[in-house]
Amino acid sequence: MSAPLTDVTDATVAPGARPLLSVEHVDVVLGRGWRANHVLSDVNLAIWPGEIVGLVGETGSGKTTLARTVVGLVRPKHGRVVYDGSQTSGLRGGALRRERRQGHVQLVFQDPLRSLDPDLTVGQIVGEGLRIRGGLDGAEIEAKVTEALRLVGLDATLLSRTPGQISGGQRQRVSIARALAADPGLLFCDEPVSALDASNRNYILRLLGDLRDSLNLPIVIISHDLSSLAGIADRVVVLYRGRIVEDGPVDQVFAAPKHPYTALLMASAPSVKHDQPLSVHQLRRTTADPDLGPDLTAASACVFAARCPFAIDACAVQPRLEPVAEAGGGHWSAACHRREEWPALARERGTVAAPR
Amino acid sequence: MTGNPPPDEVLGIEDLTITVHDGAAAAVRGISLSVHTGEIVGMVGESGSGKTLTCRAALGVLPKGCEIEQGTISFERQDVTQLSSRGWQRLHGTGIGAVFQDPSSYLNPSLTVGSQLTEVLRVKQGLGRREAHRKAIELFTDVGLRQPDRVFHQIPAELSGGMLQRVMIAIAISCGPRLLIADEATTALDVTIQAEIIELLRDLRDQRGLAVLFVSHDLAVIRELCDRVVVFYAGEVVESGPVEEIIERPRHPYTQALLQVASVGDFSRRELRVIPGQPPQVGAAITGCRFAARCPAAIDVCRSAPIDLVRLAPGHQSRCVRANDPELADALETELAAR
Repeated sequence: MSAPLTDVTDATVAPGARPLLSVEHVDVVLGRGWRANHVLSDVNLAIWPGEIVGLVGETGSGKTTLARTVVGLVRPKHGRVVYDGSQTSGLRGGALRRERRQGHVQLVFQDPLRSLDPDLTVGQIVGEGLRIRGGLDGAEIEAKVTEALRLVGLDATLLSRTPGQISGGQRQRVSIARALAADPGLLFCDEPVSALDASNRNYILRLLGDLRDSLNLPIVIISHDLSSLAGIADRVVVLYRGRIVEDGPVDQVFAAPKHPYTALLMASAPSVKHDQPLSVHQLRRTTADPDLGPDLTAASACVFAARCPFAIDACAVQPRLEPVAEAGGGHWSAACHRREEWPALARERGTVAAPR
Repeated sequence: MTGNPPPDEVLGIEDLTITVHDGAAAAVRGISLSVHTGEIVGMVGESGSGKTLTCRAALGVLPKGCEIEQGTISFERQDVTQLSSRGWQRLHGTGIGAVFQDPSSYLNPSLTVGSQLTEVLRVKQGLGRREAHRKAIELFTDVGLRQPDRVFHQIPAELSGGMLQRVMIAIAISCGPRLLIADEATTALDVTIQAEIIELLRDLRDQRGLAVLFVSHDLAVIRELCDRVVVFYAGEVVESGPVEEIIERPRHPYTQALLQVASVGDFSRRELRVIPGQPPQVGAAITGCRFAARCPAAIDVCRSAPIDLVRLAPGHQSRCVRANDPELADALETELAAR
């Protein structure tokens, strides 16, 4: 695979420009006392105007919590969320209600069958937020609802159907229309395609790409299907157990990942071809690997150390997310002490890998 | 699917038609497929193409209102189509095991996973308490659960999705079935876990000579695991054959379309393809090819009469009138490039 240098998007180089959304040093702890669970640790994320960011990671890595934190459904313990220059985290009372009614950041949920009210019609679902926000009369709401449905390619004849009467792909489009009706500045889609079959999955991803192009709307897509994300995203952010382990331009990261977990995710992705540079066997710990010392399994160790075949003593300290040398003009960072050494080590492990 | 079945045939489905809504419409029409010992057969198709219904028929658990109108299902060459519910009960677990998409909804949330496995062993195999416990630990080890002694005493909520799916597989194979039916068993899992479960299924096949019927909507997953694949479209088999051959040289436009939308394992920026249009509704009156309305290479013949499965090579069949037409590939190529 050759690695063409990324075309840096205009947004990232525009002088003095600031990100539309920035998540700064956010820690999220859910539960209290002995139940306290550190879900996000020191998460830093910036979303620039007009870009599509793919957020990947496995179940329990904190992807959904990050989305909920951004829209204010979860309160960060430390750190803050800034939208267009003003802090939106930690608001209370009237300020919180005003911020919510703005609907700057809209969430699209994973399973449209469970997130849409089965008793409401499509028209009611899409228009509900507008009615609650107030300030528009019935005809204006209707016009906005029809416009939102048109944007996602749905016919107005669906307005009076309920979610149970339309197909899975259409339901997900209704979810997106509901989010668009609020005129958001940023769309956060939580696994919008994992409940869909391959054709519908590509349809929805293409639709999101078109929305970005026509509305210049930045979109964050949470997904664990790396291959289709690579088709449309500009940047990819990899989350592992509450920490960002890699963040960079899609083509650079997928051409030569700097974190072994990113490489493992790529090698695990099912494929109709078999030309992966590294196999999962080269990236997983095996019984042949030496046991991990207590330092490497401690809470202060690198989050990935327990699964990493390349862990050494230095990994007893969580590495910081640091810029990658080959980043070129773009922003590319990874959190791995051995980012320079592990690719060569992984290739050496190849000899014992099981066939296919 | 003619002549004498090979001696090691585990599951044989012959010309199966299943009607839904109390006979109002046929959701599965004239399906034939077979699974042999030590073989993993994949079933692929869009949602609603009849994959799950066929699986449920093979398990003898068709939902209410669904009925087998025609055809036979045989297990180890015994006709089980008209089997009584007692007969099916005897077959479940000991003859056929099953794993489904969402493991947490099939396990009792308030019992330990160990007790849910030993219950099966004690009821089905009449094992004593101690013996069942020993066997359970052994099975948990076989399916790759680390610390099986600890897992034994945990309830489903304490385990991750991947671990629960391993528990489900342990339960499914606990009584030594010859056939395992896995209906979208890896769909809800993370890619890293999915890769592990695929490996586990392959190991079980190798070690136990298990026959596996594996259902998925993603050809890429099928490619990773299966020996043969059966492609479903709108309740019919449109193509079947060895996985390698179908991936390399698909001979039905629908299979080609599925390949275009599958996870190609390509990590570069590209146009994501879709299959335009929707599959026909169950019960829609269509004379010719059911895919014709969405097919870029459809010609008049396609719409005038029902299409038969054409045998192309040993074990490779396609339900397309143009399957042997050299212009088909060109027609599809130009069409797809134009999209």
